Amino acid sequence: MQTLGLVGPDAAALAERLVPRLDGRVATVEPLPDRGEDASRPAAPGLAPGSAAAGAFGVGPDGSWVGAGEDRSLADTLDTLAPEYDYALLVGFPEADVPAVVVGGDEGDDSPTGEVLGRVPDAGGADLGDLTERLDATEPHVTLESLVRRVKASPRAERAGAIATFTGRVRAKDDDGDPRTTALAFETYEGVADDRMETIRTELTDRAGVEEVLLHHRTGVVPDGEDIVFVVVLAGHRGEAFRAVEDGINRLKDEVPIFKKETTVEDEFWVHDRDG
Amino acid sequence: MEWKLFADLAEVAGDRHVVVPVDGEDEGTATVGDALDALLEDRPALRDRVLDDDGELREHINVLREGTNVFNEDGLETAVDAGDELALFPPVSGG
Repeated sequence: MQTLGLVGPDAAALAERLVPRLDGRVATVEPLPDRGEDASRPAAPGLAPGSAAAGAFGVGPDGSWVGAGEDRSLADTLDTLAPEYDYALLVGFPEADVPAVVVGGDEGDDSPTGEVLGRVPDAGGADLGDLTERLDATEPHVTLESLVRRVKASPRAERAGAIATFTGRVRAKDDDGDPRTTALAFETYEGVADDRMETIRTELTDRAGVEEVLLHHRTGVVPDGEDIVFVVVLAGHRGEAFRAVEDGINRLKDEVPIFKKETTVEDEFWVHDRDG
Repeated sequence: MEWKLFADLAEVAGDRHVVVPVDGEDEGTATVGDALDALLEDRPALRDRVLDDDGELREHINVLREGTNVFNEDGLETAVDAGDELALFPPVSGG
């Protein structure tokens, strides 16, 4: 899923123009007003006042639905949307660390946190083709669930009785005495890294009983606790699935030119220097 | 000839991309070794990082020409063309 922030007074109008131009399923996300500490308020808009439920959903026979609830951050929302949508447009979240376009006037305090893909004077003046191209070139929001969903949709899925996955994440501590790791920054040899991952993917997929293999590695800064890398295998049986997942992550770590710099509460260092 | 440098090698050299003139690059007689010599001449700080006391390339340093490890070709004797992309990096550490 490609994610775009739209910031500025004309953001909603640009989102409206952009949605039909995007090739795929699009979700828009807007901020709800801060509801303060009013004790009589319902837990969330759409929930009945006084309801103890944490979520409420309505589902129609034609597949239409509405939902409301509490305890969900913007990051949680994006993770939830990633398996189901090709694009998420965040209208009016300057604090979100996502690629953004600024629409209309001086953004003032609304300067976006993420990379700015463009600044346009008003919604009508935006070059939608160019913006779409830039958006498609940004790093997609990928979750384990979005990859699992993709292999399940494979035309070969009917021959497959197993999905095995590996998730690599940022480990804050190796043992209790360790200075806490706060983030890892990944540098990738673009082009070559993709080629090597594609070679691994193809060679694993060629194995008997292995139907689909997906590998994904994030780049940039990944804070502690977040996911870094996924390997997902769709296979006929669990044996092939487990072996392909293990070989996939081992080969990725050995062969793909990606470099990791670790930031702890005390220090900053390239990981290969410490290992060597 | 253009070198791409990664991780601490880029920090030591002061740049991620370094363009250096290499003797013979336009005549088709230059090798990866020639290009490496030209790089280390241009960025002397890199020398101790990538070469050992005998002046040999340290074992863990990777050299790629057009995405292929040159030690799967003819090593530092591998021929290079003026348009080739060369890369120098430490052990990979993804995941």
